[in-house]
Amino acid sequence: MSEVVPAERLQPVQASFRVLVVDDDPDMAAFLARLLESEGMAAETVYSGDAAMVYVMATPPDLVLLDVMMPGTDGFEICERMKSDPATAMVPVVLVTALEDRQSRVRGIRAGADDFLSKPVHREELVARVKTLRRLHATRRELEARRLSAEVQRKEALRRTFSRYISPRIAERIMSDMEDEGAPFRQGAQRVSVVALFADLRGFTRLTESTRVDEVVDLLNEHFSVITEAAYRHDGTIFSMAGDSLLVGFNVPFPQPDATARAWGTARDMLSSFSRVHARWTASGGVPTGLGIGIATGEAILGNVGSPHYMSYTIIGDAVNIASRLVQGARPGEILVTGPVYESIRNMVPARTAKFQGDVSLRGKSGTTSVWAITL
Amino acid sequence: MEEQSYLVTVAKDLEDLIPVFMSNRKKELDTLRVAFAAADFDQLRQLGHRMRGVGNSYGFAQVSEIGKHVEDGARSGDRSLLESAIAQYSDFLSKVQISYE
Repeated sequence: MSEVVPAERLQPVQASFRVLVVDDDPDMAAFLARLLESEGMAAETVYSGDAAMVYVMATPPDLVLLDVMMPGTDGFEICERMKSDPATAMVPVVLVTALEDRQSRVRGIRAGADDFLSKPVHREELVARVKTLRRLHATRRELEARRLSAEVQRKEALRRTFSRYISPRIAERIMSDMEDEGAPFRQGAQRVSVVALFADLRGFTRLTESTRVDEVVDLLNEHFSVITEAAYRHDGTIFSMAGDSLLVGFNVPFPQPDATARAWGTARDMLSSFSRVHARWTASGGVPTGLGIGIATGEAILGNVGSPHYMSYTIIGDAVNIASRLVQGARPGEILVTGPVYESIRNMVPARTAKFQGDVSLRGKSGTTSVWAITL
Repeated sequence: MEEQSYLVTVAKDLEDLIPVFMSNRKKELDTLRVAFAAADFDQLRQLGHRMRGVGNSYGFAQVSEIGKHVEDGARSGDRSLLESAIAQYSDFLSKVQISYE
């Protein structure tokens, strides 16, 4: 068994470029390490393929000098493994082979080796090859860092742009689906349990007839600004914004066991935030309108609806229809909810603010729906 | 055996590695003798190959040269070539003088 050069003699200097030397001959490993250290690099030595794999996986070096002929895992196998693992694929590998061993070189190229050194190793050749690879490695790293940075910036810009038009949660989902599968929401339509909340500016349609267009847009923007913020605060997903009404879904597209409570919290915040906006509108000339809200729970279909040219990711179904009918019947400042919704939030609603409206016939519905009115 | 001494010049920055290097060469000589006695040509070939690689790298051209004879002898099963190479190696290791620059 060959003697190993004591570790203190091979103690790596503090250097920014770390080279792993793999050779089952300790003398050869010590020699290579010494040459690298004399060039200001840090060199670590290991004496078997298996030890090399453990080292590389734990702390990927900046370059590997790898002997080809070793008992156990040989240099080719280590090189192949490193090049097929994304974590180590970029680490340059120099295979150390016998000068006349052309077959090994061909096999090394196939294994992904970046360069070759012949034994006996000449100092100038080793240094020149390692320095070249070091420069290439630095350039490659810089380019990769730039590419990643540009990619992150591009995605962030895309996400910000998306989020202005659709719910940030859906935007995130689309971005994530695009990364994973290349197309958003590949999963087909699903039947899901939802809590649907509609918010609507009551009497606003009449108001638009007597208000200047630019003022209408300003009012709507202010209105939507406060109510979307309220929806996002409770992790609601906005599925549609049409005219002066907003549809918010809970428990979709991500499960929310407390979906009804979230819908209730959203409705309460919407009314509270809107009341401040409304007070300002009233102070600056008076706008005869108010916010009405309808909440229903039940099954709905979640999926992409539309054509290949215009697609809407939305919820459709009974719960949405009922919430829509309720909001149409809600007075300014009133929240109308179905019986099941009320039962679920009863302990959160001050009793004096809730009033049972009876079993009501809603337009388009064959039976009746129990309805509660809450006025805060 | 020749009465000549062998002078080898080694790079100064390798000086502290040489004691271990020489110690390993002596162990290598013992291993060569054992392998030769056992007619273990595969091990002889591997030892010769290693000598070729490491000798010249440190500046010991004779080690590489003898290693080549060992490797060739092991490949061809030439016992006389092997015997002569091992004797030459023994002579070299006993007489080598090393200087550093």
